[in-house]
Amino acid sequence: MSNRTPTKADVLQGTLDLMVLQTLDSLGPLHGYAIAARLEQVSGGALQLNMGTLYPALMRLEQRGLLRGNWGTTETNRKARFYAVTPAGRRQLAEEKHAWDRMAGIIHTLLYSET
Amino acid sequence: MRFFREWIQRLQGTLFPGRRDADLEHELRSHMEMAADAAKRRGLDPDDASRAARIEAGGASQAMDALRDQRGLPWLDDLTRDMSHALRTLRRTPVFTAVALLTLALGIGANTAIFSIVNGVMLRPLDYPKPEQLMYLTTEFPALGLTRNPLSVQEYLEFRQINQSFAAVGAYRTMGGAYTTGEVNLTTGGGPLRVRSMSVDAHLLNTLGVQPAQGRFFSEEETNRAGGLAPPLAILSYELWQTVFGGQPLLGQTVKVDGRLHEILGIMPSGIDVMDNHTAIWLPLGLPAAIRQDRGFHSLNVVGRLKDGVTAQAAQTELNALLENWGERTGSSGHVPTNRPSRAADHTLQIEPVQDAIVGDVRRSIVILQVAVGFVLLIACANLANLLMARAESRRREFAVRAALGASRSRLLRQTMTEGVMLCVAGGMLGLWFARVAVQALIRAYPTSVPRMGEISIDLSVLLFALGVSMATGVLFGLAPAAQGRVTDLVSAFKEGGNRGASGAGRHHIRRALVVVEVALAVMLVIGAGLLIRTVYNLTSVDAGFDRSRLVTFSMTLAEPYDPDTRGPAYQRLLDKLRVAPGVQGAAVMSGLLPNRSPEAIPTGLENHIASDGSAVEVVDYYQFVMGDYFETMGVSIVAGRSFEPADAASSARVVIVNETMANRIWKGRNPIGQRVRPNLSAAIGFGSDSWHTVIGVAKDVKQGGVEKETGTELYLSLDQLAMAAPTMNVVLRTSLPSAALSRTLERLVREVDPAVPIVRLRDMESVFAESIRRPRLLAQLLGAFAGLALLLAAVGTYGVLSYMATERRREIGIRIALGAARSSVLTLVMKQGLQLTIIGVVIGLAGALGLNRLIASMLFGVRPTDPTTLAAVIVTITLVAAGACWLPAWRASRLDPNVVLKAD
Repeated sequence: MSNRTPTKADVLQGTLDLMVLQTLDSLGPLHGYAIAARLEQVSGGALQLNMGTLYPALMRLEQRGLLRGNWGTTETNRKARFYAVTPAGRRQLAEEKHAWDRMAGIIHTLLYSET
Repeated sequence: MRFFREWIQRLQGTLFPGRRDADLEHELRSHMEMAADAAKRRGLDPDDASRAARIEAGGASQAMDALRDQRGLPWLDDLTRDMSHALRTLRRTPVFTAVALLTLALGIGANTAIFSIVNGVMLRPLDYPKPEQLMYLTTEFPALGLTRNPLSVQEYLEFRQINQSFAAVGAYRTMGGAYTTGEVNLTTGGGPLRVRSMSVDAHLLNTLGVQPAQGRFFSEEETNRAGGLAPPLAILSYELWQTVFGGQPLLGQTVKVDGRLHEILGIMPSGIDVMDNHTAIWLPLGLPAAIRQDRGFHSLNVVGRLKDGVTAQAAQTELNALLENWGERTGSSGHVPTNRPSRAADHTLQIEPVQDAIVGDVRRSIVILQVAVGFVLLIACANLANLLMARAESRRREFAVRAALGASRSRLLRQTMTEGVMLCVAGGMLGLWFARVAVQALIRAYPTSVPRMGEISIDLSVLLFALGVSMATGVLFGLAPAAQGRVTDLVSAFKEGGNRGASGAGRHHIRRALVVVEVALAVMLVIGAGLLIRTVYNLTSVDAGFDRSRLVTFSMTLAEPYDPDTRGPAYQRLLDKLRVAPGVQGAAVMSGLLPNRSPEAIPTGLENHIASDGSAVEVVDYYQFVMGDYFETMGVSIVAGRSFEPADAASSARVVIVNETMANRIWKGRNPIGQRVRPNLSAAIGFGSDSWHTVIGVAKDVKQGGVEKETGTELYLSLDQLAMAAPTMNVVLRTSLPSAALSRTLERLVREVDPAVPIVRLRDMESVFAESIRRPRLLAQLLGAFAGLALLLAAVGTYGVLSYMATERRREIGIRIALGAARSSVLTLVMKQGLQLTIIGVVIGLAGALGLNRLIASMLFGVRPTDPTTLAAVIVTITLVAAGACWLPAWRASRLDPNVVLKAD
């Protein structure tokens, strides 16, 4: 039941997946906290993900075969689960980036073109 | 594709959770610690840091919930959890579970069994190409009350000629007068056999759209050959070919049918039959000239196939137009069909889909039974709803606590429903097994009670029906506990729980309503059963006009090489032997077996008579050809004039006897003795020349067309005098011995006359009677069983509800007794509560029964649907049963020890 009620996670879902994939693709394997910290940093603190949003998203991406998670050790010697983009995830990222660019272009033209 | 993969993973996650909760929790915990580390690095002290981390990262338990939901399919998770929970609960209460399962299995089983009949008989299409195009054409004689009658040959040929709606029209004949083309003797290696046959014309198979599986069908020339004897050709059914001839190659060979060698032209495909006739041998039609030319002789059953795109409606409209001026269109006169039948001999034509014609009047019985078992299931549902409600009541606190802890209402509802649906699916499976056993037993016990019996089976649609009924039942009674509602109110649940005195009255409305509904449904069923039982009783006690005790009868056929003239002496020889057989007091031979013959409707000439159509011809419903001491043996009294005497045989003055109905209808008060009639012998028996016969006596009416039918007009002719006989005759013996004890003797005597002739259907007359009313009897038995079941379930339900309500009032009753109330007044108090409900139920049930009058009225005989005796008996029975069901809890309440009760709380 609870996954049917619209939450912040649902609203963000499309973009959140894209952001997570892009982050992991550019920075290499990261654990959940590092992803959240990176997104917060990039957004200048505007994007604060709580665990209830982030981890289901990671699980979903893993279930779709776009990510693979493995336990590892952080530089501070903590056990953490590291997520890496799979080849399928990379393809998906490329497609979604392309789609995003197109959509952004369309929206931009629509909003700001003269006439 | 990706999504598909996600769902597969989630399904896997539900069934075999790969990442355990511990693993997920570990990941969240390390996230939290890293967040706290970061906060510490920002200079917060450890306590503040972990608080900041919690605020930043959100609650771990909410995240866990979200993860669990993402991991599996939440509803499936819930379902498996609910199911295992329900299973545990059910196992903890074995008595409840057993009662519930048994009730359900009976209810669902009865419904499935009846539905398998509905499905096989009424719903499944016939096994021909485009079966919906097949129409059955019949004649109706409104003035005589004859329906679904055959056509005359002329009418059939004319209809084929002039209609525009049908692509093909074919005809067949299974009987007619004293010919028995409906059955033939088949000589096989294993002794003589009697098998069902059908004489068909070449167009019939075209119409049906089937071809023989081997060989070929009769050509038009072969089926049209005139003359009394058909060409010796035959086609076998696949089933006969398999069972009797072992599937050996047979085409072009000969088999002996009715004593003559017939060439086998073909083998029909498996399962192919016409009008549920169970045809084993197909013969060419070959009509005697007399039947061909006589418009009054209705002997052909006609099947037509509509042209593509023509509806049954359109065909009937066209037919009505044809009937407007049939005579002018066809250039014929006399006995022609019309659409304005007014006189006795007037008839009209009617079409109906073949499937409807096959099912016929049985449809109504089946519908009645389906309604009845539906009622039984509803009562079962009400009982189970009651039981589940009582259980839900005891789990009120549990539910209230769970609701307070955040379980959604729909979640709780689903849990109670799961229990109901699980019970029902288990009950349904058990019921399916019941149904299978019951239907098989029914088919074995009553092989001919329902048309298309062979098609009744548990197939996919029956399975789906059983599943659907089970699920619907489960949802229906699973909802009841939810309907009493308010489970979410924690406070009141605890308050009420602690204060059992006067609470819960509102919830009892539902219980009371259930009792009322149960009683009402049971009343309707018991009334229906009562009326049908009365009907069967009336049918068995009908005065059929003859004494059927100590009568034994059998049938036999003297086929080729006998001819009409040699058959007479052969039957005479047999009668002479039978008369002196030990234990036999009298013996006679007759052409038509009472009390259930097919009407013959033979036009008969009358002297000095003007019929309503201006002619001197009246249609006589039955001709009975008799030999020997028929009236004495059968115990039919002669009310006027005299019986046939041995002297008549020698005399050249031909004589007949008429029945009372004929005397009254034709001579209307004038003395029939001495009047002269001209029986149409060739139409009735296929040979003999017509001549004037003098009426010498009037016989008491006997039932000919069924005990429930009005007696028709009947003419008795003496075969002793005519010195001939039809091939198939019925022998009847007045004897002090049962039929089984006679069989050896009879077989020996028949063998002495002709060793190749089998004795067929040796029975006593009582069983012939029982056979003639087997359908109403079976309906009454089944409905009686369902009504009994309904009554039992309703009694159990009433008892259950009343015990429950009495238990809830224990405190109040305890106080009353402590304050000095008499035990008897407590008894009355509780009894009154129950009987009030019963009376409301009885009243509603009576109203419902009156509403259902129309459904059952046509099935009744000698009793009206509002028969006061039956209604009174039903009311008394129900009230007594209800009083019994109320008395036990009331008595228990009156025995309460106030000390025990008041201390218990």
